[in-house]
Parts: sequence; C-alpha cells; structure tokens
Amino acid sequence: MTLLSVTAVRGERSRARRSSPTARRRSTARLSKAGYFFISGYVVLLALFGVAPTAYAVYLALTSAGGHFAGFSNFTNAYNDFRFVPAFKHVAEVMVIWLTALIVFVVGLSLMLHSMARRLSGAFRFLFYLPGALAGSASVLVWLFMLEPGVSPWNFVLSALSFKNLDQVLLPGHLPVLFALIAFWTGAGGWIVVMYGALNNIPNELLEAAKLDGASAWQTALWVKVPLIKKWIAYMVILAFAAGTQLFVEPQLVGQASLGLVSQYWSPNELAYVMAFQNNNFNEAAAVSIDLLVLGLMCAGAVVFRSKLFEVD
Amino acid sequence: MRSFIASKFPGTRKRGLRIALVTLVATGTIGGLVAAAEGAGFARSSAPRLLVWVDATRVAQVKAYEKSHPNVKVDVVTYDGNDGGSGTLQSKFALFNRVGHGWPDVFFSGENYDAASIASPQYKDAQVLSDGLVATSVLKKFAAGTLADCTVNGKIVCLRNDIGQDVLWYNKKLMDQFGYAVPTTWAQWAAIGEQVAKQHPGYIIGSAGNAFDDEIYLQASECPMSKLLNSYTVQISPTSPNCTRVANLLDPLIANGSVPVVSLFAPTFLKQYGSKVLMMTGPSWYGDFVFANPSGLAVPAGQIAAAAPLSWTAGKQPVTGDVGGGLWFVSSHSKQTKAAVAMATWLATSYKSQGIGPTYPAYTPDQAPWVTAQQKSGYFANDLGPVFAKAGTEIWSGWSALRYAPDSIWSSTVIPALTGGSTLASQLPAFGQGLKNVAQVNGYTVKG
Repeated sequence: MTLLSVTAVRGERSRARRSSPTARRRSTARLSKAGYFFISGYVVLLALFGVAPTAYAVYLALTSAGGHFAGFSNFTNAYNDFRFVPAFKHVAEVMVIWLTALIVFVVGLSLMLHSMARRLSGAFRFLFYLPGALAGSASVLVWLFMLEPGVSPWNFVLSALSFKNLDQVLLPGHLPVLFALIAFWTGAGGWIVVMYGALNNIPNELLEAAKLDGASAWQTALWVKVPLIKKWIAYMVILAFAAGTQLFVEPQLVGQASLGLVSQYWSPNELAYVMAFQNNNFNEAAAVSIDLLVLGLMCAGAVVFRSKLFEVD
Repeated sequence: MRSFIASKFPGTRKRGLRIALVTLVATGTIGGLVAAAEGAGFARSSAPRLLVWVDATRVAQVKAYEKSHPNVKVDVVTYDGNDGGSGTLQSKFALFNRVGHGWPDVFFSGENYDAASIASPQYKDAQVLSDGLVATSVLKKFAAGTLADCTVNGKIVCLRNDIGQDVLWYNKKLMDQFGYAVPTTWAQWAAIGEQVAKQHPGYIIGSAGNAFDDEIYLQASECPMSKLLNSYTVQISPTSPNCTRVANLLDPLIANGSVPVVSLFAPTFLKQYGSKVLMMTGPSWYGDFVFANPSGLAVPAGQIAAAAPLSWTAGKQPVTGDVGGGLWFVSSHSKQTKAAVAMATWLATSYKSQGIGPTYPAYTPDQAPWVTAQQKSGYFANDLGPVFAKAGTEIWSGWSALRYAPDSIWSSTVIPALTGGSTLASQLPAFGQGLKNVAQVNGYTVKG
C-alpha cells in the first residue's frame, strides 16, 4: 500500500465509526461537558494569576505614580533608560543561541530516540528529563558549582579553555552562551519527552508505507515525521520564546553568587524588577513588562498563523 | 460521566458533596479560631512584641537581647542583609509600603548605603533618631565619622553597628623572612610589590578582584567618585588626580602579578594564594573572618599582624577606607517606637551585643573590651587595639552614602574588564560613566 491509499482507508474507517447520528450527538455532548470540566480549574487560575495581573500591569503602565493617566510616557521613559537597550540586546543574544539549540537538538534527539529500541529510548528519555525536574534556581546552583574552576568536576574542560577562576568564566562576552546553556540543560528534557509523544502519535502504517516507498531513515525523519509534528514544534517555539524573553533566575542568581560580576539589570525582566523595587518606579517597570508581553504575543501570533496551529484537520 | 459514577458508586454524588461541605466548614472554623486566639493573645499581653529583620550573622546579637530582656517578645525574620547592594531590603519595603502593613520594628542592613534610600521620600521607612529618641550623649559616643552614613538631610536615621576600617594586614613571619620592612606609604608598598614579583613570584601584597576594592583603594585616596555635595548632587570625577594616581599605582602591580585580580572569597584564591599573602589592605574584620577562619585562609597563629593604613604622603596622617559597617534602623511605621528604639540602641551599644559580633564596634566604649577579647586568643602577632582605634578615626567621609551602591558598578563593569586584561587607568572613565548613569536614574544631579 502506498502512503495515499493508507490515508484514504483510514479516513473511510473513521467516517464509518461516526456514521450514526444519535451516537454522534451523545459522544460529542459527553466530550464537550468533560472538556469544560477539565479546563475549568485552569481558566479560574488563568483569570486570577494571568489575566488580572496583566490588566493591572496595563493600568500601571498607562498611569503615573499618582494614578493620573500618563499616556505612553512610561514606555518612552523606560526606553530612554540607559539600561533598557543593553538588557534587550543581551536577551536577544541568548534567544538566538537558545532557540536554535532547542529546535535543532530537541527535534533531533527525539527523532533519534524514536528510532531506538523502546527500553533504551525510555532510559535516555529519563536521563534527558532529569535536569528539568530541578526547579530553576536549584539548577542554576548546580551550574554555579560546575562553572567554578577548582571545584568543578568539569575542571579539565575549564582549564582547557584557560579559565582559572570564576571571573574569567563570567566575562561579559560569555554570558549569553552560559545562560542559554543553563536554560537548555533545564528545559530541553521536558520538550524531548513532549516531542517523543508527538512522534508516537504518527500512525505506524504511514512509516511502513514510507519504508516500502524506499525512504531511508533519514528521509523518513525529515520528510515524514517532522512535517507531522510541525504543530508541536510551533508550540515549543512559542513557549520557549516567551520563557526566553523573560529570563530572570539565571542572571539574578549568577550575579548574586559571583558578588556582582553580572549586573543586576542584565535582562529586561531583571530591569523591571530593579525599576520596581530599587527605583520604586512601578509604572516604568509595568511598561517594561508590557513590552515583553507584546513581544511574546507578536511571536505567538506569527507562529500560530504561519503554522496554522489552531486549525483542526 | 455523572451517570457512570452514579452507577458504579450509588449515593456517591450526594455523599461527596456532603464531605466537601463538612471539610469547608471545618477549615473555616479552625481558621477563625486560630485568628481569634492570636488576636486575643495580642490584646491580653501588655508586653511589647517586636518584629526584627536581621541577617544571619546578627541573629546571635538579637538572641542576646532576648536573654537580657525576657519581658519583650521578639519575632526574628532573617534575610540576606542587603549584602552587596542586592536590593532585598528595598524590595521588601516597596511591597509592604504598597500593602500598608507588615513593616518591622527594628531592622538591620549590612549595606552602608541603605540609610540614604530607606530614608528617602520614596520610602520614608526610617525613623529619625536624633530628634530626642536617642540621647545626644549616646550618639556622641559613636566613633567619629561612623554616623555619617546614618545622616540624611542632617538627621540621624540609624545607628552604626561596627566599623570596617581598612588597615594594612601583613604576615610578620613572611615579611621578616624575606627581609621587607612594613611600608607606611603606598609608594613604599608598590616598591615592595615590584621586588616581590622579581624575588618571590607567586606571593602577593593585595588583591584587586573584590566588589569592595573601590572602597579599599579609591576611598583611601580621597578619590571623588561618590561624593555628596548636597542632598541632590553627587560629584563623580574619574579624571581627578586622586583617582588616576590609584590606577597608576595598581596597574603595574596587577601586571606583574603581585596584586592579582582574584576575589578573596573565590576557591581559587585559597588554592593559589592561601599561604602566600605577604600584605593585604583590608577591613578590620579580615583578621577573624579571613585569616584566622579555618574555612578561610587559616593562616597559623602568630603570623598575622595589623599596621596603620598606608598614606599617600609621607609623614601625613593617612586617610583610609572602610568596608561594611552595618546599620540598625527603627521603622517609621513601628507602633512601639520607644521599645524599638531601646532595642536598636541596645544592639548597637551594649557590650553584651557588640562583644559577640565578629566586627569592631562603632560605639567607642565597647572598642577596648572587644580588642582585649580578640587579643586573648593569642592569634595575632601584634596588639590590634591602637591600630584599630586610630584607623577608625581616619576613614574618609567623602565616600558618601548614596541611594545606590558604587560596589555593584565596580564589580559588573571594572572587574570583568580587569579580568579581560584592560588596565584600571582605562576603566576609570567607564566606572565614572556607569556611576553617573546610576546616579541620574536615582534622581541625583551629577557634577563632573
């Protein structure tokens, strides 16, 4: 059977199952009720901890300290702050490295896992996921230990790069790579598990058909598997972009632990924090947060429309 | 789904609802009872209950207070002490100011610059102590210049815990062994550095990788990089000769390795230089915390001594810097101001409190007994008392307490550049520019 005929047969079979009108109505009614129940908890929490704070931030960003309407002055003041542009530059550098690494390695590794024997791939999936099980700050502390020459188990790597002390490891030019590395180490494992699940959804008949058509493992991976998990990759890109622009824990903890070698406003999220709690300027901090929100929404919008993420086939 | 559950477990739905209702009511009742008990507790006891924020090192002093004052109830909350200008104190106050309650009665900050920000109009969280709450006679007994960091707009808003006056620490055994005389001027010190680099490479006469090096070197040179001219104007002059002479002094020493760019608290410092410290200009608390400390350099007893801080002009009284000091505040929102002021004063002045601290007291009557206690251990090779006392009066007051910490600019701008191979001379303008930016963000006008 060829690829096309397999799809055709599957379509017929599924259509046949849903033919009876009463059966269809009962099943969809049951499905929709269950659906509402399952998302109800999430919606409540989203409203309380997502929508309400966002609305408050928008209010703060458009008003001044006294509560009067301030137009876009908070946004322009924040932009003109000497820390604003460097912070966004830093995060842009981290994002380029991190997103590329994430997409290439997560998809690559999950494809490799998918082609491995079940038990072996299970063991590897567990290993990849393990770093992600550590909370963000705990993983940064592990990394601080790994980056300190003299105490790090990877000292041979550090001395090969001629890093004799932490100051040399944390030189400003190295920071984007370091933070991308730490974020990747914690984040990739979870996404590999998700991608592996997505790959498992691909019906075996398709893969067999591809094999019969003469596709090699490499071609199957690239031209059959990847297009079918395109929506999952898009989903990963949206979430990774949002998380990346909001980088906070890594520069904050590394800065504190190194007694100030990384400035306190290295990333935009840290800048908002400093503006709010050191400069007591909640309005400008809210403006920076809204800037980050808009960035995330723009990326999400672009990805959703390009990949038709919400279209059901 | 409802019918499915009902069919498998008859009566479950109703029973489930009943269980949920009972749990809810029970939790609510218990919560209400607890709240009532706490409230009743407050109303019944007339003893003051003080909330204190301290860092881990000061907990011992608060515990001593509790022992001496059993009738006062103290709730202790520990935090990082705002070390290194971390901003934790400011963020706590910003939050509580917005919410309108939760302020402490007494709080400690390890960052000398905090008086300026906590007492600023933006926060208004520090109680003025000089308008009668603390007796003038008590305030006068603090060592000269130590309350400058606590003075905002002419009013004293905190009490100094200790002085971290910089002195010249040296290893008497090694200095005698190599035949070097203890220097009295910076020029002599640099000359020894050149000799050490040639004759005994690997040994060091100081370090240049610490966040507070600007206080050790620039403050001692009277370099105007954070000098308050009035409450709104700061002088930042990186091209002043008092600043450039420090760079010219240090750059050759950094280059020849006798003053390495390594943090004193890095594991690599211990490995590479732990037993090779010939001299080190540093605060009075280096003695206990760095040299004698078994988890620090752990230098054997009888070797470490302290000499007067180095001077820029031979024969003239030296000016020195200070690292640390710690400030005790009373919150302006405290409902028990008298009790809180009494507690803060006790913590800053009583020997029962200061004697426990690892730091040299700012309150003059406590200084001599503190030194005696230190000397009793027999660790130090000379009498620290007169050295500390004199150095404590020589701290340059032109390194003002501002609403930001210059240390954070020094460590994020200058140290990475020095690590990368730049000279200090080339970095002073960048340091000045960084300070200027932060000063302006904090509402200061900058005079170059």
